[in-house]
Amino acid sequence: MTAGAPTTVGAAGQGVAEAPQPQPVLRVSDLSAFYQTHYFGIVREVRAVDDISLHVLPNEIYGLAGESSCGKTTLIKTIAGAIQPPLNVVGGSVKFDFRGQSINVYESTPEERNAMRWQHLSYIMQGSMSVLNPVRRVRHSFVDFAFRHIGRSMPDFLDTVVGHLERLHLRADVLDAYPHELSGGMRQRVTIALATVCRPEFIIADEPTTALDVVVQKGVLAMIRGIQREIGSSLLFVTHDLSVHANLADRLGIMYAGHIVEEGPTAELFASPRHPYTVHLIGSLPRVGDAAPKKGLEGVPPNLADPPPGCRFHPRCPLAMGICSRETPVMEWAGPGRRVACFAAEKGITA
Amino acid sequence: MSPPLLEVSNASKIYAMGGLLSRRRFAAVADVSFTLEEDRHEIFTIIGESGSGKTTLARMILNIVPATEGTIRFRGVDLATIRKRADRLAFMRQVQPIFQNPFEAFNPLKRVDRYLYMTALHFTDARTADEVRAKADRALRQVGLSLAEVKGRFPHELSGGQLQRVAVARSLISSPALIIADEPVSMVDASIRMSIVNLFKALRDTLKVSIIYITHDLATAYYISDRIIIMKKGEVVESGNAREVLAHPTHPYSILLKNSVLSPDPSRRDELLAPQFSSTEKDIAALR
Ligand SMILES: Nc1ncnc2c1ncn2[C@@H]1O[C@H](COP(=O)(O)OP(=O)(O)OP(=O)(O)O)[C@@H](O)[C@H]1O
Ligand SMILES: Nc1ncnc2c1ncn2[C@@H]1O[C@H](COP(=O)(O)OP(=O)(O)OP(=O)(O)O)[C@@H](O)[C@H]1O
Ligand code: SF4
Ligand SMILES: [Mg+2]
Ligand SMILES: [Mg+2]
Repeated sequence: MTAGAPTTVGAAGQGVAEAPQPQPVLRVSDLSAFYQTHYFGIVREVRAVDDISLHVLPNEIYGLAGESSCGKTTLIKTIAGAIQPPLNVVGGSVKFDFRGQSINVYESTPEERNAMRWQHLSYIMQGSMSVLNPVRRVRHSFVDFAFRHIGRSMPDFLDTVVGHLERLHLRADVLDAYPHELSGGMRQRVTIALATVCRPEFIIADEPTTALDVVVQKGVLAMIRGIQREIGSSLLFVTHDLSVHANLADRLGIMYAGHIVEEGPTAELFASPRHPYTVHLIGSLPRVGDAAPKKGLEGVPPNLADPPPGCRFHPRCPLAMGICSRETPVMEWAGPGRRVACFAAEKGITA
Repeated sequence: MSPPLLEVSNASKIYAMGGLLSRRRFAAVADVSFTLEEDRHEIFTIIGESGSGKTTLARMILNIVPATEGTIRFRGVDLATIRKRADRLAFMRQVQPIFQNPFEAFNPLKRVDRYLYMTALHFTDARTADEVRAKADRALRQVGLSLAEVKGRFPHELSGGQLQRVAVARSLISSPALIIADEPVSMVDASIRMSIVNLFKALRDTLKVSIIYITHDLATAYYISDRIIIMKKGEVVESGNAREVLAHPTHPYSILLKNSVLSPDPSRRDELLAPQFSSTEKDIAALR
């Protein structure tokens, strides 16, 4: 499989001139990470991240989509260097290049990794409010996390925090509350505020707006995109919600059963999806006013402990051919900035 | 005539928040009333602003927190009078919760299948280990999982959507008359979301279960709800037939809500940076 390099070899080969691209901030190459458990003597391996390559540029929002349990959280945990047993990296690499300072996540010491996470990276974990201390008022979390980084006087610092909270539709008095006194969506916004108030160079966010109503969600997404553009930082954004991706992501990667199966600029991916799974995802978007259900995809996502041979989508694919159950399609160049892993798409057939 | 299944009359919940010197009292839920009839099984949907009191209202109906004012009756019994353990268990068997955010609702140190077994033991006639497992497996299969996939796993060993579906499965085990589902589909993709709301429909139509469906998702709200209320700052600002309210909202907040649904069309993405969404002061002033 070709590494997720910024200059697509294929593009050059086709003689299409592309503007020179900046160096990526994040480069993930041939990454595999499995949950490996020994259960009563039986070794079980959940291949949640299987041979994935991607890159994220400075000033870019990369969206990651895919159905429940396809491996999105596992992938970004691995990228953030936040893994613990039984999850193990079994191959490939994750490299960050922050203005002048680079780090190869799985060849560095835990200290170096931690230093990177503190200085440059901010990771908003799915559903987790663990950054909030349950027995202390929210104010203390901000002081503990961000005061040193922002480097102003305490009153100035608190002003900054209050201004930031307002962008998330939160009143200043949430600072005086204990986490359990906030609603689910308020807690979720406080964790976003904590992760963004220092304006990190790289933000990794896993389903950060699931608990928000559409009005507040829009405000939060606008804030995230606002600060990302203001300081030219990069964002790796995971959600199953394609409407959010449509509005936020510059580029989109579609995951299915531990693989990335298609990637491209958001608008183009929506306009002309190539992989049958992407076609299905985009075609099944529900809209207010639907009185009848959209047709779901037949079958269930594969068990990652025992995935089907060949293309993992073949048992559900409307275009499956003989080769699909025998060989695994690899990510191939499919037009400027686009990649797809599908034998039918290779031949120009789309669902 | 039998008493209503659920009768919420002028229910309010007052909380105090803030530092010692600047304590602010406010109504998290303000004077909410509605009734679910015994023989009209329905999906009653609550949508509203984040922080508008939906979960607080759910917790009052589940008798987890008492109402500060007003009364809530389930099958004629005032929840404030339920004291004895046997009465509490009888109530819990009939009214089952699906809590918001399964990552917070499940104890991280407890295997998730335990929750299913305990529910089966407490609230069904299952007695042997095999019977209990069979109940758990049956419930999990209704949400597209199986006991084999979940057995022995801790919450952090499941994906967000898997964990959320375990929470839905758990609520089905006791064959309740009323399910209070607080954001039950927030972490699942469109396809699983559809299968869960279709399951709710089937529960209503064939098993005569009523469901209070709290959600931020207007599309499924439109698709499955019979009636709807829209909340903002503790108050019900609009209520009625779900399709009518969602198709023709009249309160300014309901209209804003409907207009804020993100379009799944990338060519309209610049709306996200339009002035009304980036100049938050004005926005907040308008909202509060
Ligand atoms: N600690 C673990 N041990 C074994 N398997 C695990 C563990 N954690 C996660 N898994 C499995 O790995 C697979 C991928 O999970 P992951 O959390 O990455 O999915 P996801 O794409 O983020 O899904 P969702 O959208 O539902 O959050 C799932 O089948 C899950 O059950
Ligand atoms: N134990 C508590 N003490 C003080 N205030 C509380 C407490 N629980 C909730 N609140 C406040 O009550 C209000 C309503 O909270 P609730 O959780 O009911 O909102 P919600 O509508 O469920 O919001 P979301 O959509 O974000 O989950 C919020 O302002 C919250 O801060
Ligand atoms: S490779 Fe074959 S089975 Fe896989 S998506 Fe393409 S056509 Fe379908
Ligand atoms: Mg996840
Ligand atoms: Mg809530």
